[in-house]
Order: sequence, then structure tokens, then C-alpha cells
Amino acid sequence: MNRFWSILFFLVPILAVVTFLMAQFGIWPLNGVWFSDSWSDAGKTIDSIFNGIHLLSAAILLGTVLTIGWILWKFDHRRFEANSKAQYFTHNTKLELIWTAIPAAILITLAFVQMNAWAENKMDRPLIEVGGKMVKAPPTLLVKAKQFGWEFYYPGADGVLETSDDLYIENLMVVPEKTDIVLQLESRDVIHSFFVSDLRLKQDVVPGMVQFAWFNANRPGDLEILCTELCGWGHYKMNAKLKIVSQAQYDGWLSDLQSKYYP
Amino acid sequence: MSNTYKNSIAYWLLAVTVAVTFCGCEKSPVPEFRLNEVEVLKQEKASLDEGEHFPDSYRDEVQAVLLSLFGTPDDPKFPYLEGEDDEAHEFISFDDLKWAAGRVHSDREGRPISGLYREHCAHCHGIAGSGAGPTAGFLNPYPRDFRQSKFKFKSTKLRRSPTDDDMHRILREGIPGTAMPSFRTLPDEEIVALANYVKYLTMRGQLERMLIAEISSMDDEPLLDISHAGENDLVTMLLKIEDGDWKEEPNEDEEFFEEQLDYIVNELFLENTLARWSETEGTETPVPDVPESLAPGSAENEQLVAAGRELFFGRGNCAQCHGETAMGDGQTANYDDWTNDWIKSAGVDPTDKTTYKDFLAAGALKPRAIRPRNLRLPVYRGGGRPEDLYRRIKNGIEGTPMPAGATLTSEEVWALVAYVKWLPYENAGQQTPKLVNNKAIAR
Repeated sequence: MNRFWSILFFLVPILAVVTFLMAQFGIWPLNGVWFSDSWSDAGKTIDSIFNGIHLLSAAILLGTVLTIGWILWKFDHRRFEANSKAQYFTHNTKLELIWTAIPAAILITLAFVQMNAWAENKMDRPLIEVGGKMVKAPPTLLVKAKQFGWEFYYPGADGVLETSDDLYIENLMVVPEKTDIVLQLESRDVIHSFFVSDLRLKQDVVPGMVQFAWFNANRPGDLEILCTELCGWGHYKMNAKLKIVSQAQYDGWLSDLQSKYYP
Repeated sequence: MSNTYKNSIAYWLLAVTVAVTFCGCEKSPVPEFRLNEVEVLKQEKASLDEGEHFPDSYRDEVQAVLLSLFGTPDDPKFPYLEGEDDEAHEFISFDDLKWAAGRVHSDREGRPISGLYREHCAHCHGIAGSGAGPTAGFLNPYPRDFRQSKFKFKSTKLRRSPTDDDMHRILREGIPGTAMPSFRTLPDEEIVALANYVKYLTMRGQLERMLIAEISSMDDEPLLDISHAGENDLVTMLLKIEDGDWKEEPNEDEEFFEEQLDYIVNELFLENTLARWSETEGTETPVPDVPESLAPGSAENEQLVAAGRELFFGRGNCAQCHGETAMGDGQTANYDDWTNDWIKSAGVDPTDKTTYKDFLAAGALKPRAIRPRNLRLPVYRGGGRPEDLYRRIKNGIEGTPMPAGATLTSEEVWALVAYVKWLPYENAGQQTPKLVNNKAIAR
């Protein structure tokens, strides 16, 4: 029991870091518990930053707690004569400069490194060419969040949203793959959050605000849309299906929906 | 700090931890079908003197009859009078009932083994389908009470049961503008099972209401003295009696039991409750072809909308409830049938809470006036497709003041549909977004 606290202090961070690294690199038995591959290229930028920050945090955590553990080990009271006095130090300018400058440098670096990811996901809405000029792409569909579900409005024959021929469907969103999809997000009641983890897409939906979010899925398949803002008692059941299909399948599906409205 | 003091703190902490840990271990009570107390109170008010109640034995008898015919929330039964050969299997599958009933339970792959209803529906609609589950009070409109066997959004006429497709559609699409969500993420078989279970609860609830109504006309004799049936359930018993396989010379009590059993099962259940659901096929109101002029922007759309407006304010009489502005502010002091069912009892004034406290205690929800739909919002509870709106206008909406437009020709109904579809965008018309390549330029 002599070294109990020192050993415990060593073990906790080491086990924690090992666990997370095993998960990140898919080492048995923790394979498959990490994020799935990103289904969008913009998501890959986010992933590289996420993984980088994750490794950096692991290094910093290890460095910090190993230092504390080493101090616990080295300055164990049994190694000193009984009644020997502790020494007190205050103010070490050099040390303080170091531990301020290094984190500051890391944070500033991160701030620059993440700029592209932020811009790609939140600022640079996809453009389309209109009359020789590039303009922001119009929303592909309108998403209205409500307690507790997702409403999707597709433009009708006129190709314009929020007109009387809009097509409505709840809890199922179908989009073509390898195409820029722009969502217009609105809330009917409280704050919700539109989240598709495989696309690395997350956007709060705030009542009274019109938000836009976009993605470009690089493969077909079924994904899950979840609400990630605690929005009330039914939050847990607020999910919808996202079907990513080929352009031809999408056109077929949309004209099918269209024909239910205007045969 | 003395050691004893330290120790006593440690013991206290331990005691509190143990207490907290084991507090959560009490088993929650087994869900049961509670008696429709609102109906009991309503019938008591209608047939007894003030403050008097039916004897408890009647309540027990109603519960016993229902238990014998329909089982419990964990172990449902259905009165298939001819067993496996009963044609009722075709429109209400027993396997589906078993699947939808019971506790929420799934296998290793996450596929549900039982408890579909309790997982997805019960917290709003209640275990017995009373529409008064734990979350019901937070919702406006309130969840549907199935027990009156009335459903709003269906393709059939008033007083007809909805078709299976109608029920599946509501589960799949949800009801926009209400708390009823879309269960599109569930597989089709689960939707079908849930619809079957809703039918089961509806029939059970309807028979329950009939039995309670019977009580008020009973003259001190028992509703049904189930002890005559011994170990048998009521269906087996009825078959025995019908086959002449019971008492050869029944005494007076036994004769009355035979009579009552025949009346309850054959007349109340089979000919009233079940018959409603066995004859839904082919009862949909036909919808004529959607006219091309209904599509916005089409050649004669403007004329159709204008004709619809004329009807809306004129012969169709829509503005009377939906208001001159069509914002649903015309007639706002009506109640729906589920509320009218009990607020019509003597002495109840839905605007004065002190007059209906006893109903609230019996499980009724605070009465709220029903609002005519605000047609300026493009939110359509029964679906926004032209055929949905056609049926809403042509058939009316069950349980609400929305009448059937029986005297309107199909052309007139289509004109109203066109007008209703156009209403939310009346003012937006002047600000048509700029069209480039057939797409709007973003704001």
C-alpha cells in the first residue's frame, strides 16, 4: 500500500489514453466503436482536425498526469526524515512564461488550422452559375423541425419552395448522392438540432431563424437523422430516415411524390 | 476531529448510498385496463339521483366480462367465436395483437419481441387507448380516445370505420400540426401490428361503453353473473350453450345468464362492435380524377380558385366557422365529440371548472373548445394531397363540427380544394421569387 496513490495516479490516465487510442485505431476489442467513415468529403476535413486534436490531447494529458504522478512518487513522505519541513516556492517567471506561451501557441495554431473546415461547413455555401455569375445555390428542400419529428418540403413542379405546390413528407428525407444538397432549416416550436453523424453535419435549428446547412454525400445508403438538442419529453424519439440514392432514383422518387399530388 | 465522529459520517454516507440504490428497485405495478370511469360517472349522472353511485358489483362485472373476452394488456385475447376458423382473423390478427401488447422487449438484434404499443403509443394514448396517457395533458389537441370508435382522418364516410390503409397511412405520415408523429422509420409489419392493436383497443373500449350503458338500465339483477361460467371463458361458454351442451333445465338465474351472455357477445359485440370493422373494404369515398386546372400555374387555375372562393363565402358556408379571413376565427365555441360526450351531462358547464371537477377526478381531460383550421397555414392534418382535401370536404371530419359537403358536386369540391391550397399564399403571390433556370435564386 506504500505507493498506492502514486500507482493509482499513474494508472488512471494511462488506461484512459490507451482505451481511446485503441478505439481510434480500431484495435481489438475496441474495433468498431469509433466514428464510421465520413460519408462526405467536408466531413473528412473535420475528422482530420478531430483526430489531430484528439492525439494532441492524449499527449498533453499523459504529460500532465505523468508529471503529477512522478511528483507523488518522488516526494513521498517516507523518503524524508520525520518532521522535516516542506519548502514553499512562489513565482517562477520562466516557468510561467513557458506554460502560458505553449498552450497559447497551440490554440492559435488550431484556430488557423480549423478555418477551412469551418468555412467549408458553415460559410461557403455551394454556388451555382446563373447567367454567367456564381450565386449561392437555392435550398434543395425545406426542413421544419417540430416536437417531435422532422417535416420535409420538396419544391413542386415550379421548382420553388414555399409555394402552394410544395410536396410534403414527414420523417423521410431522400437526396441524390454526389450532389450539393442545401437544406433550409426552420423550427416550428423550440430549439432543435439537425444531426447526421455519418455526414459530420450538425446545425442548431432556432425558432424564428432561417438557417442553411449543406452536404455532399459520396455514396448511396440509409442514414439516421437525429435531434441533438434536448427539445422536450419526446426528444428521444425525434429521428428520421435519410436515404441517399442515385440521381435517377431520386428523380423517380420525387416524380412519384409529385404524382400523388398532381397526377 | 475524533475517529468516532469520522466513522459515524462514513456510516451515514454508506446508509444513504444503500438507501438510494435500493429505492429504485421497487417493481412498477403491472399495467392494467382501467375502467372507463368517465363513462361510469356520466351514466350515473344520467340515471341516478345526485350523489348516488352504481353498486361496485356492476363495475366488477363489466371488468370481468372484458377480461374474459379481451384479456389484459400483457396477455391480450380476442373473442374469435369460431376459433381458428373465425373470419375475424382476417381483419384483426391475433399474432399482431400479441406482438403489439405486453412489455417493451426486444431480441439481441434489437428486433421487438413485444410491447410495440407501449413503446410508441401508450404514453400519449394510454394503456387502454383512453387518449389520456401521462403526456396527454401537455398536448393540444389531446391524443385520440379510441374507445368511442371515431376517427377523424379517413377515406370513408361519417360513422364508418376507417380502412386499414387509412390507419396505416396515419401511422406512417403522422398528423401534421398535432403531436402525432410519423412512424415511417418503423418497418411495415410493425405499423400493421400497431393498427391491429388500435382496432383491438377500440373494440374493447366500445364494448366497455356499451356495458356501462347497460348498467343504467339494469333493474338490480346482475349484468352477467360470470360465476355460472365456472372455469370457462365466455366465448367457450357461449359455444357450449349454443350447442346445447350446458344445463338441460337451467334454473331462473342460469336462464338469465344465458340470455345476457347471448345479448352481450352476439348483439353488442358481434353485430355492433365487430361488424363496424369487418365491412370496411371498398367503402372508401371515390375520388374523381384530379382536374389539371388544380395544379398552380396551370391554364384555368385562376378560374377554379375564384369559383372556390365564391363557394367558400357562399353556398359552402365555410367562412361561418373558418372565418372571413379563413384564419379559423369564425365559430370558436364548439367542442369535439370526445368532449361533448361528457360535458353534456347535467350541471356541467365547460367554461366553469367547479362544475366538472368530479369528471377530471375520473380521468377526463380539461375541456377545450375545438378551433376551426387556420387555412392560411399550409398545414393539413389529414394530408395535403388533393385527394385528402377532397375527402375532408366531401365527407366532413368525424367527431368535429366540420360537416360533410354532401350537396356539393365533385367540380365544386375541387374548386374549394384549389381555393384552400391557394389561401396560404394569397399575399405571397405578389412576391414570386425570381426564377432562373427554373429555380429560385436564394435569398
